[in-house]
Amino acid sequence: MSNEVFTQLVDAHYAPLYRFALSLAKRPADAGDLVQQTFFIWATKGHSLRETSKAKSWLFTTLYREFLHGRRRDIRVTLLEDLPPGESEVVAEDVDRATQMDAATVVAALQTVDEVFRAPLTLFYLEDLSYTEIAATLGVPIGTVMSRLSRGKTQLRAALAQEATAAKSKVVPFTGAQGRKQS
Amino acid sequence: MSNNEAKFVLGAYRANGRDAEDATFGAALAQAKNDPALGAWFVRAQAHDAAVAAKLREIVPPAGLREAILAGARASRAPKIERRFPTRWFALAASVAVLLTATLALWPSRAAAGTAQLAAFAINDTAHAQHGGHGEAAGALQVMLSQPVNRLSAGLPVDFTALRATGCRTLNFAGHDVLEVCFQRNGAWFHCYIVNCADFPAMPTGTGADFDQQAQFGSASWSDGVHRFVVVSNAGLGAVKRLL
Repeated sequence: MSNEVFTQLVDAHYAPLYRFALSLAKRPADAGDLVQQTFFIWATKGHSLRETSKAKSWLFTTLYREFLHGRRRDIRVTLLEDLPPGESEVVAEDVDRATQMDAATVVAALQTVDEVFRAPLTLFYLEDLSYTEIAATLGVPIGTVMSRLSRGKTQLRAALAQEATAAKSKVVPFTGAQGRKQS
Repeated sequence: MSNNEAKFVLGAYRANGRDAEDATFGAALAQAKNDPALGAWFVRAQAHDAAVAAKLREIVPPAGLREAILAGARASRAPKIERRFPTRWFALAASVAVLLTATLALWPSRAAAGTAQLAAFAINDTAHAQHGGHGEAAGALQVMLSQPVNRLSAGLPVDFTALRATGCRTLNFAGHDVLEVCFQRNGAWFHCYIVNCADFPAMPTGTGADFDQQAQFGSASWSDGVHRFVVVSNAGLGAVKRLL
């Protein structure tokens, strides 16, 4: 693969890969390392991939594997899978909340979602991969991806609501000049 | 299909419409079109998904990440050291000067001479060798070496035999194999040379690091008792010391 093609590959995918990595690793520095490591692996052996069209899936898969490789898999995964289906109801307030929040708060809420749901959920919201591609990336059946998306969205809505409540509680009512006059 | 089943399927339908042609969603989409309650739910769910996706797109990778990726890729393609020097004559002169200086300065001590000669060998190789031929095991070590949080003196996961067998660049020093792995950290290039302590019984083991500076090249040499390491960089001695 020529330098030019590699540069095009980096330009096309490093930003969504970083967002995915940030949702997994939580810390920007760790996310950056994961992305660099992923492209390093591509540069050293990924270029042997014959179908360049599969590069995107390969990069996301590799990043996810590198993340998993970096730490032991959460033993809660199995327990979480046994939970009943998530509450699928979405109310207008959920939509308003997500729209009005700033990006950092939404990402912070996303990072509180259990990892087993967070990985497919982030890939879904990046909108680069279809559910079948997400399934291939994470190495799980399609039905499992749908299930995890359903539960993950439920957790995310709850987390966003919690963030909103926390934000409200931090707001100190402004008493203004009147308050100072009374003292 | 019940509405709950339709919701389950439609939960995987991307808000940007890229799944519109996917037949998997056909029945559920048709049901949402005909069922007002399901339709209203789908509109809200899509709006929520679109809002979260938009927020995620606002996250910008840190400045310099792109450049670091591209530089790292160039590194993995076996950089040729000549590029960093204006002429081959300069490289030749520098290597001769380095060898002479190292030899003269460190001649007296026989025990130290082994270590110093290895360092001089490493500096000379860094100055004008063509690096390359890294195998899979070397790639893993290279990644580990490149991580800013890893302190090299804390120990390196070296399987000498595996590295040599899987294509790690192997040199010869005093009749014994020397492995070499290039890596980049904080924008600077480093070259790590590894020998088996058993091959060089005259070299001290388990002692602190020795440092040297020859021309623009800084080097550090230390041992973990099994291997002796020499790291060389043209970024200077300070950069090398910070690795440890």
